[in-house]
Amino acid sequence: MSFHLSLSADTVTAAYPDEPLLVSPEATIREVMQLLRTQKGSSVLVCDDAGIVGIYTERDALGSMNAAAGGQADEMLDRKVTEVMTAKPVSVNTTTTVGDAIKTMSDGGYRNLPMIDEKNQPQGVIAVRGIVHYLVDHFPSTIYNLPPDPRNATSEREGA
Amino acid sequence: MIVCPFCGKENTEGSDLCDDCQQSLTDVGLAQELSETERGLVKDRISSLNPNEPLAVSPSATIAEVLRTMVEKRIGCVMVVENDQLEGIFTERDALNKINIDAAERADRPISSVMTSKPVTLQGRDKIAFALHHMNLGGFRHIPILEGDKLTGVISIRDILGYLTDRSNSEQ
Repeated sequence: MSFHLSLSADTVTAAYPDEPLLVSPEATIREVMQLLRTQKGSSVLVCDDAGIVGIYTERDALGSMNAAAGGQADEMLDRKVTEVMTAKPVSVNTTTTVGDAIKTMSDGGYRNLPMIDEKNQPQGVIAVRGIVHYLVDHFPSTIYNLPPDPRNATSEREGA
Repeated sequence: MIVCPFCGKENTEGSDLCDDCQQSLTDVGLAQELSETERGLVKDRISSLNPNEPLAVSPSATIAEVLRTMVEKRIGCVMVVENDQLEGIFTERDALNKINIDAAERADRPISSVMTSKPVTLQGRDKIAFALHHMNLGGFRHIPILEGDKLTGVISIRDILGYLTDRSNSEQ
């Protein structure tokens, strides 16, 4: 099976979706930023009963830190996450193909795509890291057999 | 590992004969032909991806200055450079891990106190496969590209993703 075939046949569930980090719309920026650090996450999904209402990513956190460093630290950190999140994020569902997800990411410049089911409930997050891992799985002999240092040629044949 | 096509026994790599049924494995052990994309990965050099112009800051720049620059330029990583030498890299991830909610207290500290020193670097003449390998292994999204010890560019995970999808589309 060629590389292209599997991109249009495999669904995003094969691209190592991350467990979603979920917070309520009531959460503050302070809580969300600490959650991102402790869970080593790159995005949190803001959810209410009806499903996903927004996403807050590392990029948004950078903006919040910049504002905090600029002087209004406490006001910034005590704001609700809903004020700065990206509302109604572009998402994929569990039947989206990996190829379509990559296209969505590169067209929109996204690094995290929420994966939802029919009821708009979060099932996971497709991160660019998972996609890369999935791609590397397609060429194991090429990637995993690389020498650790590209410029360290063996000067003699082994045993010679 | 070579699976014997006659009896299904899993033999060690390089075996000439199957341990169980003694059939010859010489044809089975030959390397599979690589796809066009895979050949490209080990043939094309990183310089062919046209590495982006790096955004360099000095180690004494304050955290507040660097954060402001990153937000204004909408970029996720800066290179910390002194006398043309790459001292470190500072990314969104560093910001989240080391600054987080203390941005106000740390605003005036130098960036060198929170940067990642001695990041993994590659040369422009290295093959793209190495960049993919390091990004996958280390979870990096950016790799600084040097010529000798001088910083000349940075490649991002997006460049690699674009390269792979272009390739796979033209392979069809």
